[in-house]
Amino acid sequence: MSAPATPTATIRVNDLSKRYGRQQAVDRLTFAVNAGQVCALLGPNGAGKTSTMRMLVGLSTPDTGTALIAGDPVSLGAPVLRRVGVLIDGPAFVPHLSGTKNLKLLWAAARQTWPPPGLNDALDLAGLGTAIDRKVKSYSMGMKQRLMLAQALMRVPEVLILDEPANGLDPAEVRALREHLAALSKAGTTVLVSSHQLAEVQQLATHIVVMNRGRLISAGPLADVLGGSTGTYRIQPDDLDRALAILRDAPGVTAAAAHNGEVIVTAPTVPASDLVNVLVTAHVGVIAANPAHQSLEDAYLAMTGGHDLAAR
Amino acid sequence: MLRVELATQLMRIRTLIALAFLAAVPAMAGLSFASSAGHQNGTQGGLFGASPYSALNHTMASLEFMMPLLLPVIVAMLAAAIASADRDWGVLRYLYVAPITRTRLLTAKFAAVAIATTLALAVVLVAGFLTGLAIFGWHPFHLIGHPNLTTGDAINRVLAASGYTLLCMLSIAAITFTLGLLLPRGAEALGAAIAFVVAASILNGQSALHAVAVVLPVHYWQNWAGLFEPQGAKGLGTGSVVQIATVILCTAVSLVVLRRRDPAA
Repeated sequence: MSAPATPTATIRVNDLSKRYGRQQAVDRLTFAVNAGQVCALLGPNGAGKTSTMRMLVGLSTPDTGTALIAGDPVSLGAPVLRRVGVLIDGPAFVPHLSGTKNLKLLWAAARQTWPPPGLNDALDLAGLGTAIDRKVKSYSMGMKQRLMLAQALMRVPEVLILDEPANGLDPAEVRALREHLAALSKAGTTVLVSSHQLAEVQQLATHIVVMNRGRLISAGPLADVLGGSTGTYRIQPDDLDRALAILRDAPGVTAAAAHNGEVIVTAPTVPASDLVNVLVTAHVGVIAANPAHQSLEDAYLAMTGGHDLAAR
Repeated sequence: MLRVELATQLMRIRTLIALAFLAAVPAMAGLSFASSAGHQNGTQGGLFGASPYSALNHTMASLEFMMPLLLPVIVAMLAAAIASADRDWGVLRYLYVAPITRTRLLTAKFAAVAIATTLALAVVLVAGFLTGLAIFGWHPFHLIGHPNLTTGDAINRVLAASGYTLLCMLSIAAITFTLGLLLPRGAEALGAAIAFVVAASILNGQSALHAVAVVLPVHYWQNWAGLFEPQGAKGLGTGSVVQIATVILCTAVSLVVLRRRDPAA
C-alpha cells in the first residue's frame, strides 16, 4: 500500500472528495490497500475516516473521485459488497429479534442461503454463547459489537472494512479480534480498519493511512512510517564516549544521547549512512546503525500536530 | 427482502398489540350489544342501529366505527414503522451493505405496507364477523325500515365496501410511508399522519373549507356506508380516484426521496 494507487489494489481510493454543507469531510484523498494487508486508517476525530469508509461501502456518494473494491466501483447496494464485511458507525440490530435472527436477517437480505460459510468461526470469536438466542435489546454494548463483528466475518469476506472494531471490547476480546484479523490477512483478506487505539493498531497493522481535516497526511508501510518520520537512529559504536562527542558536533545533528551502549541521534536531514561515515572517518567503529523505531502514538502525534481537538 | 420487512415489523409485540386492539373493539362492541340481539340497537339508525341483527351487520358496523380514526391510526403506525424503523435502528446501512439495492428495498417496503394494511383491515372484518356470528348469528343483512338484503347482494356489498376501505387505508398508509422517509424519525411521521387525519376530518365539517376538503382522501372515507343505505352509495368513483391518485403521488415522492437521499447524510 502506498499513496499512489497500484493497479492490483483490492481497495482503491482515487482523488476522493466529499463535502457536507460547509465542511469538507474528505479532500482529494488517494490511497490503496492490497490483498493481505492490514491497513489502519488513522486521524483525529473529524479527520474524515468514517466519511471515507462510508464512500468505500456505497453509503455515501463522493462529490468527486472514485472508490473501488476489487476493481469494481462501489455504489449503494453494489454487488461487489457481497465480498465485503462491514462494521461502520457502530453496531445496529433489530432490537426485538435474537442475535441469531438478526444474523439470519442480514444474511437473507442479500438472497443468500443460511448458514454463511464462516458462521462458526465468527460465532466463536463473538463468544456470545447461549446469549446468541436472546433478544438483542438485552445485550451490552460489547455484546452488540461482537455480534456485529460476527456479522461482518461470517461471510468470509475478501475485504473487511471495520470502523472502530474494538469499541466496547475488553482486553481479552481485543486480543482475540487482533489474532483473528491477523490470521485472515495472512490468508489473503484485505483489512481496512479505523481506530483511535494506536497501541492496538501498532500490533495489528502492516500499513497505515493518516488523515487530518479530510486530507492525506501520510501513507505507507507501518515500519517505514515508524522508522523514518523523525530521522532518529540508534548507533552502536565501539567507543561510546568518542562517538557521542563526534556525533554531537556533526553537521545536521540536532540531538545525540547515550542510552544502553548506543547513541540515539536525531538528524532529520542526514541519512544514517552519512552519520556512520562520520564515525568511521574518525576511526570509531560502528557495530550497528538502525532507524530508532518510535511508537505509533509518537509518529501519529508528530504527523497530526498532536492536536486532536483542533480538527474537531 | 419482503420476508425481512414482515419479520421485523409484523412480529413485533407492539404490532400484535395493535392488531389485538383492532380485534378487541368489535368484540367488545358485540358483547355490549348482546342484549339487543335481533333488535335495533337503541334508537340509533344506519349500520350502528342494525348491528345486532346479524354477523354481517355487526361486521359493517364495526368497520364504520373503526374507519374514521382507529383503523387509520393503526395503519399509519404500521406504515411509519415499515418506512423508517430500520433507519431508526441503524439497520438500514447494514442492509445496504448486505447488499441490497434501493429498488429492491423500496419494492419490499411497498409490498410490506400493502400486506400490513390489508391485515389490519382483515382483523377488523374478521373480528367483527366472528363476534357477530357468535353473538347475533347468521341472518339476512338488515336495513332499518327497509327490506333485508339477499345473502348474495349483502356479500357483494360487503366485498365492495371492504375493497373501497382497503383503498382508503392504502392512501393513508402511502402518506405515512412517505412521511416516514421524509422525516427524521418514524414517530414524527406517525404523529404527522395522525394530525393529517384529524385535521382533514375537521375540515370535512367546515362548509367554508369544502374546496380544500374535497382534494383530501379523508373526505371520501365514509362513502362506502352508502352501499348499505336505500339511496345507495355516492362518490365511490371519485373517492377511488382520489385514493389512487394519493397512492401514486406518494409512491412517486417516496421513489424520489429514497433514490436521491444519501443514506449517510
